Amino acid sequence: MISVFRSAAAAVILASTAVSANAEIKIGVLYPIAGTGAVYGTPAMHGHNMGVDEVNAAGGIMGQKVVTFARDTKLKPAAAAAAAKELITKEGVDVLIGGLSSSVGLAISEVARQEGVVYIATIPKTIQMTTKKLHKHVFRTSSHTDFEGDAIAQIVKKLGKTSVCDIQLDYAYGHDLAAGIEKGLAKHAPSVKKVIDLRSKLGATDYNAQITQILGAGCEIVTSGLWGSHFVNFAQQAKPFGLFDRVTYISGGEIASHEIAGKMGKDYPNNVISNTYELWYDHSFPGHKKFQSDLAKRSGKNETAMWPVLAYIGVKFIEAAGNKAGTMDADKFAAALEGMTIKTPVGDRTIDPKTHQANTGQFWGPMVKKSGVDYRVMSPVTFYPATLD
Amino acid sequence: MDMLLSSPSFAFMQVLNSISLGMNLFIIAAGLSLIFGVLRVINFAHGVFYMFGAYIMYTVSKDLQLGFVTGIIAAAAGLSLIAIIIERGLFQWLYDKEHLMQLLLTFAIVLIMGDLAKIIWGTDQLSVSYPEGLAGATNLGFTFYPTYRLMLCVVGPLIFLGLWLLVEKTRWGRLTRAATQDMEMLSALGINVPLIYVTIFIIGSALAGVGGSLAAPINSPTPGMDATIIVECFVIVIIGGLGSLWGSFVGALIYGFVFNFGSVIVPNWQDVFAFLLLMIVLLIRPWGLFGKPEREGH
Repeated sequence: MISVFRSAAAAVILASTAVSANAEIKIGVLYPIAGTGAVYGTPAMHGHNMGVDEVNAAGGIMGQKVVTFARDTKLKPAAAAAAAKELITKEGVDVLIGGLSSSVGLAISEVARQEGVVYIATIPKTIQMTTKKLHKHVFRTSSHTDFEGDAIAQIVKKLGKTSVCDIQLDYAYGHDLAAGIEKGLAKHAPSVKKVIDLRSKLGATDYNAQITQILGAGCEIVTSGLWGSHFVNFAQQAKPFGLFDRVTYISGGEIASHEIAGKMGKDYPNNVISNTYELWYDHSFPGHKKFQSDLAKRSGKNETAMWPVLAYIGVKFIEAAGNKAGTMDADKFAAALEGMTIKTPVGDRTIDPKTHQANTGQFWGPMVKKSGVDYRVMSPVTFYPATLD
Repeated sequence: MDMLLSSPSFAFMQVLNSISLGMNLFIIAAGLSLIFGVLRVINFAHGVFYMFGAYIMYTVSKDLQLGFVTGIIAAAAGLSLIAIIIERGLFQWLYDKEHLMQLLLTFAIVLIMGDLAKIIWGTDQLSVSYPEGLAGATNLGFTFYPTYRLMLCVVGPLIFLGLWLLVEKTRWGRLTRAATQDMEMLSALGINVPLIYVTIFIIGSALAGVGGSLAAPINSPTPGMDATIIVECFVIVIIGGLGSLWGSFVGALIYGFVFNFGSVIVPNWQDVFAFLLLMIVLLIRPWGLFGKPEREGH
């Protein structure tokens, strides 16, 4: 009889141990999933969920199931900071991931610093995050404005032109990209003259004043970081002025991504050279074909968007770092991320142990017409690795 | 700033930029002002009506390839239908209630219609092509200027004229003005006041739809586009005077000029001057340049 009780007690202990082993790894994910930013947040969530499903199908992290707590940043730093705080204090998440705009990324990073929780920024690009506002718990797997500005300057040099007008959005990303381009031009094309610097507010819908100033300045190249609907509005308003017939428009902000080119269709302007993190039709790197095929099934369309890969890579870093650290303790998890390399569908990624910045390069190229389709494609596609040396 | 002084054609372009921006905004703001003038409802949902106008234009002109003019008509018709549903189904029960209830209702409509737009059109930024013949630029002799923008410079005043004639020169217009003064007396005289109300709401909402459809080639239909426009419209109607047609027209022009010239002269302060002007008007003449002080006991 006693042995029966012992067996029962052992079973209870084992069962409770098993429950403990089956505890969940909680990821707090922050993207804009309503309002203006949903255009980026919704596909990013596709990539995030795909990554989490793959991790769980492979046994989770340290054998524990990964669960996601998603919050809408509303594309506003204050809302993002409040959501990040709530995820940490109420939901008890182990790690934060996401962000879109640079100002939102910095706000989440500040909460991560205060609360001692690791934050992996998957999309924000401001250089400040991994320089003067760097702390031990913030990491970035997206590119940054110095990489982007350097690539733009290299393209300016290749074109052999002599004058540049710059138009940027008037917030952290725009200012930092302008500085990145300046640094790049000083290094690669010091003889190029900056004719005019223009700023437009985030969310601006009317660009006529800036367009006419660019035309009046008479530059050969326009460098920019107007992204998403900012670029669509700018392009639609600038075309009747003939701007794109008079200048080469070199832009960061991923306006070469298919979600912009595909939706603009024949409205996409001439003479645009831009960047993207991923192209559904380019399988330069091993594993991309399968990733794109899985994503197409999940999102229900063959011509997939670019944003999912960024969120997906962030999840893969969490998986690798969690398994390596053997714990979700913030300091040990952060230590595991430092210097870590993982394979991704768009090449290997390594996180610099000093700056916490991943070496995330981008695809750059001119957007050209292609017979048989009514949208522009990038051709030739050139991969610019993330190096500043 | 240097270019403004040294190049007359550049300065003239800024004038045209200001007028075309102002006229596009006027079409939308006039609807907001008209609805407030008669129904005394501050319709926060006006921006989302504008967004639906832009999306309807996308569906009709780009997806269905039915043409640009059909897109404008469809936007006006679509918003008229939405207006009937909202006014008869919701607003008519709240006219006697305090303004806060109306504000909350219009805010709820913003959220519901915003999500509805995402369900129908998705979350991508869409683009609408310019109509045939209006895609290029027109030679004005000393400079070229986008034809579509010139069209807006003409359409805005035409809509203003049409509305002015309707309100000032027709029997229906007189009844509308009377409704703003004493709705109960009008009702006692056997006039169908609810019909006036619903008609005004239809016209105001259709103007938002038309404004959105006309803006679609230059402003990408995208979720959240309502948030920017509603702020601009409120600035315009507060400067001009809530409920005043002339106020919306002049307010929109002022906004267009201040925004454009502000962007050229002090680009880092482009938003400040419009809001500074708003503050000055609120301090000195809170009922706006063309408005009338609110009567007690409405």
